[in-house]
Amino acid sequence: MQAMFSAWVQYLPQLLRGVGVTLELTGLSLVVAVVFGFILALSRLSHIRGLNLLATWYVEIIRAIPVLILLFTAYYSLGQLGIVLSAMQAAVVTLGGFYATQYGEIFRGAILSIDRGQTEAAAALGLPSVAIMRRVILPQAFFAILPPATNQLSNLIKDTSLVFTISLADLMYQTYSALSLNFLPMDMLLLAGIIYFIFYLVIAKLLGRWELNVQQSRS
Amino acid sequence: MHIPILTIPRLYAGVIAQGAVKDLALTVVSTIVSFILGTLGAAGRLYGPWLVKTVIYWYVEIIRGLPAILQLFIIYFGFTQWGIDFSPLTAALIWLVAYGTGYGVEIFRSGIMEVPHGQSEAAAALGLSRRTTMLRIILPQAYAAMLPPLTSFVVLQLKNTTLLYLVGYADIMYQARLGTDATEQPGILYLMAALAYLIMSLAIGRLGYRLERRTAAYR
Repeated sequence: MQAMFSAWVQYLPQLLRGVGVTLELTGLSLVVAVVFGFILALSRLSHIRGLNLLATWYVEIIRAIPVLILLFTAYYSLGQLGIVLSAMQAAVVTLGGFYATQYGEIFRGAILSIDRGQTEAAAALGLPSVAIMRRVILPQAFFAILPPATNQLSNLIKDTSLVFTISLADLMYQTYSALSLNFLPMDMLLLAGIIYFIFYLVIAKLLGRWELNVQQSRS
Repeated sequence: MHIPILTIPRLYAGVIAQGAVKDLALTVVSTIVSFILGTLGAAGRLYGPWLVKTVIYWYVEIIRGLPAILQLFIIYFGFTQWGIDFSPLTAALIWLVAYGTGYGVEIFRSGIMEVPHGQSEAAAALGLSRRTTMLRIILPQAYAAMLPPLTSFVVLQLKNTTLLYLVGYADIMYQARLGTDATEQPGILYLMAALAYLIMSLAIGRLGYRLERRTAAYR
């Protein structure tokens, strides 16, 4: 036990350097996923048939393929076509592109859950359709979005660990490089596990509880 | 050595198909075992004594809170520090079952909770024992309610098998990577791997949808 703690103290700084990369990657991917996800949701709800079909196919296909294969495709295969991405760029494109499908479905469901009468009433009052979306639908949909969106955020942080396979120096990468040098795999993996678990608890539990409070105080 | 791109599908289709069969077999076996353990776990979480409830609660949180790779590495690499060596296949099975059970408990728990309370009250009023109520009244309805999340869970497990190449299990990913090293043609090989997963995921989704329609009568 004592040996484990001293190994933890010794290797914590190295692992924390990886945490910075993990958080940066999570933040960038989240922005891409939310923006692109919103576009996907609107496309799937639109009446323009080509756009609708394109978005539907994108969501169905991307969700059926493992993230790791998407990552290797972005990092290795695109290079063959002359599009050379850095490890960070490939990771953001992959995680952003994959989680856009998850966020897109959340947004779509939330928008659909708003009563049609709201849109009709706003249209009867003469509001243009952009204003209907921005002023009437989205403010109401927002609080339905929060809980599943938080859930996906904790999935996103966990999935950033995949990028160690393309040598992006995140928490998992630092853990793996530490354990392959010091031959203390369990100690290193448990330390990394504690760090990941803290993120999970903060996001899933604290944020989740706060959202519940907000929702209850509004209803 | 440069191998013409069009000969690669012919060269590698066989080994990738073999890898696909291995991945599918692992998915099926681990799903069945997690299905049973998940039911028991959900029963313990709902009806067990305080200690059982707490242990199962934290087990589920840890499985859901840690990245998949980290869990696999703890089993395959971590335990070597304590003198326990698992073969790639054993490590893969232990991980898929441990992971599947964690998610299974949650799926079953919400499935059981979705059955209205009036059902067990009515069964009690008719004089059915608790065992009969559970087996004949609650579980059939719970299983029907669980099918949609269960289908996406099986797809998730299938996609999780992509990680197994990291511990040297000769699945689709392993063959695709081996092929990439030999031919320097990542594009076509990862495309084949993606197609293999796409076909299997869509087939599982289809199967789940059919089962859902069949069991609609139970709801």
